[in-house]
Amino acid sequence: MSKPEFVYVIYIASTPEKVFAALTDAKMSEQYWAGNRVVSDWKIGAAFALKLKREETDVTGKVLEYDPPRRLAYSFHPQHGGMDAEPPSRVTFEIEQQKDQVRLTIVHDGFEPGSKAFEGISRGWPFVLSSLKSYLEAGKVLRAYWYEDECAAQGAA
Amino acid sequence: MPKPEFLYVTYIETTPQKLWQALTSSEFSKRYWFNTELKTDWKIGSPFALVMNGTTTDVGEVLEFDPPRRLSYTFHHVLSEAARKERPTKVVFTLAPHGKLVKLTLTHEGFEAGSKLLEGISKGWPAILASLKSLLETGNALTIPPVALDIEGFE
Repeated sequence: MSKPEFVYVIYIASTPEKVFAALTDAKMSEQYWAGNRVVSDWKIGAAFALKLKREETDVTGKVLEYDPPRRLAYSFHPQHGGMDAEPPSRVTFEIEQQKDQVRLTIVHDGFEPGSKAFEGISRGWPFVLSSLKSYLEAGKVLRAYWYEDECAAQGAA
Repeated sequence: MPKPEFLYVTYIETTPQKLWQALTSSEFSKRYWFNTELKTDWKIGSPFALVMNGTTTDVGEVLEFDPPRRLSYTFHHVLSEAARKERPTKVVFTLAPHGKLVKLTLTHEGFEAGSKLLEGISKGWPAILASLKSLLETGNALTIPPVALDIEGFE
């Protein structure tokens, strides 16, 4: 059985700098990521935390790559819903300028077969990244009560 | 071995009716889909074709037309000899309202092992759907250069 891997590509009418900032700034992530804050000093090897508002718990990890405005990677270890027993997974963002927009590629891998965290993030990322795009392009934030409910149920990103 | 399949989910701040119109009318598709027109009368079993800048790129048949919930058609790429030899695939759009948003789920399935088409559509759909979302939310489609997609024969 092959190891689960989540890959998602989205195009955003923005600049690599703005996309990178949105991925690494707690105040910005709070806006598009349903109140969740990304917290780190972004030094390689430093602690990373995603402070989940609704869960009142964190996803913890370490900064693996920090190359603004091109690449960002961190390990990802949800501390709730029984997923703390799974090994940490890895999130990698790649940012490329394409004329008037940015291609953002997210690869989330390193899961074991049958991972519960994998199910959660597979539902979570399309919403978070759709919201990020709306936030950067239109200053709109996508709000969806069901996303937070779904996150609570699935332990999603 | 899992069946090769493409799945993409995006959330758009619009109504199912507007999204449906964008998915089924050439007036919209020309703006977000690399100047592609949708040639069909949308009757079940009717022929369907994608025409890009006057050239037919893909043909198929309407399988489902249930506005504003579910749309599906077969999809057979005809631009290259290799693609013409592959069997037709199937595209399904599902629209589900969620509060002020619409969850759009696209599945594209039925590919042969090692399909060239799967490689191409995996690069193409995210660009088309991102542009569609921008058009509906901001009034402006994206201007992604085709060559940026790195799809063989699409420049």
